Amino acid sequence: MKYTTFNQKTIDTMTEPMFFGNPVNVARYDQQKHPIFEKLIEKQISFFWRPEEVDVSKDRVDFGKLTHAEKHIFTSNLKYQTLLDSVQGRSPNIAFLPIISLPELETWVETWSFFETIHSRSYTHILRNLFSDPSEVFDDIVVNDEIKRRATDISKYYDDLIFATQLYQTQGEGKHIVDGEEHEITQRTLKKQLFLCMNSVNALEAIRFYVSFACTFAFAERELMEGNSKIIRLIARDENIHLTSTQHILNLWSKGKDDPEMAEIAKECTDEAREIFLTAVQQEKEWAKYLFKDGSMLGLNEEILCDYVEYIANQRMSAIGLKTEFESKSNPLPWMNNYLSSDNVQVAPQEVEVSSYLVSQIDAEVSENEFDDFDL
Amino acid sequence: MNSVSVNKTPTITLDGNNIECAQGKSVLENIESAGVEMAYNCREGFCGVCRTKLVSGQVEYTLDPLAFIDDDEILSCCTKPITDIEVKVIY
Repeated sequence: MKYTTFNQKTIDTMTEPMFFGNPVNVARYDQQKHPIFEKLIEKQISFFWRPEEVDVSKDRVDFGKLTHAEKHIFTSNLKYQTLLDSVQGRSPNIAFLPIISLPELETWVETWSFFETIHSRSYTHILRNLFSDPSEVFDDIVVNDEIKRRATDISKYYDDLIFATQLYQTQGEGKHIVDGEEHEITQRTLKKQLFLCMNSVNALEAIRFYVSFACTFAFAERELMEGNSKIIRLIARDENIHLTSTQHILNLWSKGKDDPEMAEIAKECTDEAREIFLTAVQQEKEWAKYLFKDGSMLGLNEEILCDYVEYIANQRMSAIGLKTEFESKSNPLPWMNNYLSSDNVQVAPQEVEVSSYLVSQIDAEVSENEFDDFDL
Repeated sequence: MNSVSVNKTPTITLDGNNIECAQGKSVLENIESAGVEMAYNCREGFCGVCRTKLVSGQVEYTLDPLAFIDDDEILSCCTKPITDIEVKVIY
């Protein structure tokens, strides 16, 4: 079925599935099949922030004082975060928008992706401040084997889905030969690819991001790189919302609350979904090994980080109806909650270093004698 | 059994222990006050980490929960017991 940017057929979106129904036409939200997505949009927009609001200038001094091993941990971690958001800033749009059939879900995906682009911009903001020439760091992302290995697994499911969707929407169902290779395209195989892709995205938002957050916040626990930590705290809050959205999609499918065929596929592919999750867990543990190859840092080492991966993996697997894999234990990094809790994320302009808010707006200099003539 | 009582603050039963609820506190805060570690992240109803099984009793939400919760589950961060409740930790 060819994609159209404005489907001229009258459609009742209340009876459409989330994906692979009719293409959307009017972007209307007066009636919603799954109102949760509009609620997520509202919440996400209420979190709006700009990287430039956060003053990261003090981090340069801190960075200079880090040991060689700590510099490796910090920079590698930032490279990995940059990779994750590079993928997430474009992929949900390209992979999901052409096959979405509900306006509220379409707008959610666009909102989600947009916030990932804010995250990408914030990495440049951080790196520009730390290095006179950040290009060396960015350039390494595409050549560093450790990062590339992860990139392959992260982008694979998106790429497969995008390619199959292109064939489906230009040539229809059937066997198609592209570059000498035969591809059998049916809506069912596409739906299966979509299911696997959504599981891979879920694992990315559920596990991969949190390993990187733990590293960032471990520096902040020692009052180091705090500007960076403020930014990552905002990113973590956004990612929490994104994770909720993929958990909703997967649960709507598996609990038979959307497309009945997707419910069948969810059942059929449980083992594959589980495998995707556990592969992500394993890769993150390997990543921890790479991060700490030159030495640990105070408060965090390979073992603790791996324990944390297992701890959150249980939560995230349970959230999408998968049997938990690891022995249940208490949180190995209890301080993580201080950074992930919404109460502690302060975004009011007067409460953070918002440069644009301060310029010519208010006098930030307050001396002790300012209130001398003030009587009650 | 679990009747709404205005004279008595509700009790939360967790792993056989009874926790007396303080007025105005969420299920999560009450359990934490009793010294029990509970999983949480956002404390604002959108991450779903504090998902807890509600075995019996009733709660009310203090905000619209955004995280996915099954029919027999609650988000402990944004609910208050309105009757005595029994809850079970999921993971």
